[in-house]
Amino acid sequence: MELNVLDEEYMTSGHVACPGCGAAIAMRFFLKAVGDKTIIVLPACCWSIIAGPYPQSTVKVPVIHSAFETGGAVASGVRAALDMKGDTETTVVTWAGDGGTFDIGFQALSGAVERNEDFIYVCYDNEAYMNTGIQRSSSTPYGAWTTTTPGDEWKKLRKKNIVEVLVAHRIPYAATANIAFPEDLVRKAKKAQSIKGSKFLHIFASCPTGWRIPSESSIKIARIAVQTNIFPLYEVEDGVKYTINYKPKEFPVSEYFKLQGRFQHLTDEDMKHIQKMVDEDWALLLRKAGERP
Amino acid sequence: MAEQEKIKSEVPLLIPRSCESTLTNMTGSWRFLMPRYEEKTAPCSTACPAGEDIGRIEMLTTQGLFKEAWETILRENPFPAVCGRVCYHPCENRCNRGEFDDAIAIHSIERFLADAASRNEFKPSIEKLPSKKQKIAVVGAGPSGLAAAYFLTLLGYICDVFEAMPEAGGVLRWGIPLYRLPISVLRNEIAHIESVGVRIHTGKCISKSFLDEAHNQYSAVFMGCGHSRTRGLNIPGENMDGLEDGIAFLGKVRQGETPSFDGSVAVIGGGNTAVDVARSVLRLGGKSILVYRRRRQDMPAFDQEIHMALEEGVEIRELLAPVKVEKNGREYTLTVQPMRVAGTDTDGRAAIEPDNEMTQEIIVQRIFKAIGEEAAEDWYNPPGEKEKSLTLKNSVLIPRSQGAVLVIGGDLTNQTKSVVHAVASGKEAAIALDILFQEGSEAVESRLKDYVVGNGPSLSMEVYMAGPRSEREKHIVEYDEINTDYFELAPRVTQPRLLIEERRKTFEEIDLKISANVAIREAERCFNCGLCNQCDNCYLFCPDLSIQKDDSSQGRHINYDYCKGCGICVVECPRNAMVLEEEGT
Amino acid sequence: MKRVVEGSQAVAEAVRLARVNVISAYPITPQTHIVEFLSEYCANGTMNARFLRVESEHSALAALIGTASTGVRSFTATSGQGLALMHELLHWASGARLPIVMAEVNRALAPGWNIWIDQTDSLAQRDTGWIQMYCEHGQEVLDSVIQAYRLGELVSLPVMVVLDAFYLSHTYEPVDIPEQELVDRFLPPYKPMFQLDTEDPCAFGSLVTPNAYMEMRHNIAMAMEEVLSLFQDVENEFEAIFDRRYGAIEPVGCDDAEIILVTSGTVTSTCRQVVDDLRSRGEKVGLLKVKLFRPFPVDLIRQNLTSAKKIAVIDRNFSFGASGIFAQEIRAALCNTPERPLSFGYVVGLGGRDVTEDVLEDIYWDTKNNEVPVKESIWMGLQEV
Repeated sequence: MELNVLDEEYMTSGHVACPGCGAAIAMRFFLKAVGDKTIIVLPACCWSIIAGPYPQSTVKVPVIHSAFETGGAVASGVRAALDMKGDTETTVVTWAGDGGTFDIGFQALSGAVERNEDFIYVCYDNEAYMNTGIQRSSSTPYGAWTTTTPGDEWKKLRKKNIVEVLVAHRIPYAATANIAFPEDLVRKAKKAQSIKGSKFLHIFASCPTGWRIPSESSIKIARIAVQTNIFPLYEVEDGVKYTINYKPKEFPVSEYFKLQGRFQHLTDEDMKHIQKMVDEDWALLLRKAGERP
Repeated sequence: MAEQEKIKSEVPLLIPRSCESTLTNMTGSWRFLMPRYEEKTAPCSTACPAGEDIGRIEMLTTQGLFKEAWETILRENPFPAVCGRVCYHPCENRCNRGEFDDAIAIHSIERFLADAASRNEFKPSIEKLPSKKQKIAVVGAGPSGLAAAYFLTLLGYICDVFEAMPEAGGVLRWGIPLYRLPISVLRNEIAHIESVGVRIHTGKCISKSFLDEAHNQYSAVFMGCGHSRTRGLNIPGENMDGLEDGIAFLGKVRQGETPSFDGSVAVIGGGNTAVDVARSVLRLGGKSILVYRRRRQDMPAFDQEIHMALEEGVEIRELLAPVKVEKNGREYTLTVQPMRVAGTDTDGRAAIEPDNEMTQEIIVQRIFKAIGEEAAEDWYNPPGEKEKSLTLKNSVLIPRSQGAVLVIGGDLTNQTKSVVHAVASGKEAAIALDILFQEGSEAVESRLKDYVVGNGPSLSMEVYMAGPRSEREKHIVEYDEINTDYFELAPRVTQPRLLIEERRKTFEEIDLKISANVAIREAERCFNCGLCNQCDNCYLFCPDLSIQKDDSSQGRHINYDYCKGCGICVVECPRNAMVLEEEGT
Repeated sequence: MKRVVEGSQAVAEAVRLARVNVISAYPITPQTHIVEFLSEYCANGTMNARFLRVESEHSALAALIGTASTGVRSFTATSGQGLALMHELLHWASGARLPIVMAEVNRALAPGWNIWIDQTDSLAQRDTGWIQMYCEHGQEVLDSVIQAYRLGELVSLPVMVVLDAFYLSHTYEPVDIPEQELVDRFLPPYKPMFQLDTEDPCAFGSLVTPNAYMEMRHNIAMAMEEVLSLFQDVENEFEAIFDRRYGAIEPVGCDDAEIILVTSGTVTSTCRQVVDDLRSRGEKVGLLKVKLFRPFPVDLIRQNLTSAKKIAVIDRNFSFGASGIFAQEIRAALCNTPERPLSFGYVVGLGGRDVTEDVLEDIYWDTKNNEVPVKESIWMGLQEV
């Protein structure tokens, strides 16, 4: 595999992410792509901690921590201020978890992208409120255990399809990415940076702690999510032009579930049901991409 | 604005503004599992009798480092151009890629590298140890003798090779047909062997008395005379005129004779000589019929050679044992007894017994005997019980208290008669002799074990000479240990060949050259099992930025001050060149 | 140049003169005229500023946390429910020490829906670390907004300029709108002490452990305390240029007064008339207008109230379960003085009910005629229900 990833690092060791943290990897790749003329708006999420306690900062770009639900709004302000200062070169990025994106921060995000603010909104998705200790979010997938969906009460609702919601805003660029596919991730981050207006990047970032997986399999499981079609890699330009970036191996979803503690309770029946949902979603995506009538 | 200057806050602003790095947090203290770089052994290299470092050869090839790749072969085998052509490449059967799609065409790349070296006139720079006082005589300039001399020279010994024939090469020169091995290829490779310092004396036939007198000049003698006498059939009529010796026939052809054939020719036997004879006869105008007493799958000849023989039009008649030969005018009648399979022999081949059927007759113009060869002189063979000897894998060492140490190798001792086994024999003899000279004969067997590739029996000269390869773990990488997510299905290179029509008419080399692009693409398919090819996955995926690049041969190291031991690097290493262990082990 | 403008426009003119760079606001009655004027100024080039048409008050202030952190002068305006929605971010703005200025038009909180004056919305935000100034008239509104930038940027704290719904926001009055040049002389360009800067990459608002949090809070407390003296310096300078000053408090006839009425906002204007009337009738009555509520000018209040026998604090707000909020604060300010007046508390005009001269005069006589307060808070003009 050839990786066109620059050797520059915009993060330092010594951050306090859990071992094998996908979110840390996601940030590392993303910063390599966008470089240091970048300001990060960081609403409450795991990264609020990973970034380092006062007086430390683990990234070599300016960061503004912000209230949980304000990712879109604070970034709008930073962008407006830079514009007023004549700085159109600096990239403004909101770096939010799934809670700050799908749920509590959704209004500010929707508002910002409706205004087509010139920034990149990155949601690194670990599929639950991990920083507070694994509580379900609207990004938590069907079938998952969390501390607020325990025992038989495991989540029996679909994960919100956030990219489609953003696409419905007709923003210039929306894409999924995955820490196991750095080349694709870096390309999309760079592409997002080159486009004016609102860009949304949905990065799948595994969470060993919350998913009950061994830390060493963090990348592997993220990769299987793509290979099984659970998390397809695609991008959408101007809300209409769909491109699927990776033709999955179409492994059965059980390949993905069997490796994770959070899905241990699922029966073969449940797997079949989930497979059906995944197949439906994939077929729908293929149609949108014009690859199936 | 003098006024404005006057008003100012006296309270210094204190806000959570963070400008220090996190480098003071030594997160390495969290670790309870520890990753480590650890190169391991590729299965192909253990299957190669010469123990070639195939994974590394392919890696260097992908990088376009053809000279370095070629030299990597030369460290273990002085015959890349020869083996790239005539070796039956057992390595490919053990290739882990075979479980993924198709094995790497290792032999095609080997040949490409040797051809590239020849075309570009590369001069190899191979490590050679300082000169030692002992001189060694090598009897026979076949592949085992030349290999022994080559490796002994690398180890610092002076070697004289004595060859009865007017040109060196042994079976390579006088046996294997040109369509498999062009003469220029062989000569070029022998020239390289000479260039490291091996002295070859052709036209010097060695007599038995030499062994007794050798100690005056030599500390050891390597006997690599090979098998050049065809074994008898032990049937009536076999000694009549017109029944020819297969190996002798091949020799004549290689001396330049071009006898012509007309009509059917029976070749009795199932080994490589039989197949070579059948195919040579075919090229000289005859219709070849291979008569073999067992089945095709039991033939000792290399499968690919049999396959090509059939392609070219050689007919194989299985399960027929010759009973007698009679002459009828200008024709011969070969009477054969049909055989049937009756269980399995100890070597895995079919055991046979006569079928109840009546004998059959095969009418042919000529008959060749090629049921296997043996030593031309009995005294070439190991002495057996008569003398104290060490039977090694591919040689027999006789540490005589008086006179020169004797080593017998090549076909004289090898179970499998192949060029690469001859090389293995020469290498084993060289290392064994060096150990014997340094530490005495008692040390040989146990010390040899230290230099095996993986679990053996192939030996590595690079390991013996304490090269970088000696750092490798012996663990042989299994397919399950490869992270195949990093490899895409890709078809194996198809070896370009002369058209069958052309092959039937000429002794031109059958296998054609492959281009550098094709060779690189093929080498890129290689998993490089257990080897680091600097793919950077460990560096890339480290959440803690604990993989740091440096100028070491590894190109990087793990900074344990920060490594939390998550183990991602180990899992994402496509090639299993890392290991995760409990902290403190 | 004097122009007859409504209070909302006075705000907008001040924002223009302060050369604000980014305005971010969400419309809510009765604040809407402010954002309409400013939208117009941004659109027609009267102002060189960006107007962020955000989707909520919450985002309005969040966006300004972004703008101010990036080092530009920032403004918002809101009312009632909008301010309540902003609550969390009020803390963020002050904790991050961002000198954002907000015009807050006091509006009653629902339910039931009520768009008229009630100070409880802003007073409920008294603990958020914002400087709060309550204004009496259009001129004061304009001047306070300009002063707010000067003051807020000196101490790195946000400032809320508070004005009554309709009685001030929608009332036309003659207002002197100063020349830009004069305002520029008073208010230099914003030079933030720290800002988001890719050349000096730092993280703002990181996790702060118990080991450091208290010192940072104390730092805010010290800055707030310093405002009491800096406000006077700022006013001195303002007066030198514009020949106007208001004071953190304004005492009217307090020196010889036996009873002092304490007011804030537009009620003050009515009360001035009532006090004049009563004094002309020989009553020993004074008036204390409180402009600066945060920080609360405790010393000035003590100096001006301790000579009186009784005070009557008039609150257009209420803290349920306690009392009028100004009354609480005044009582707390006086409790450690050995000689202190009896304090009477009156609740008036909630939800926009008119506070007439009669109401205020009733309060005076009630205070005078009662030896001691009958209750902590007396609700004026309650009807039978």
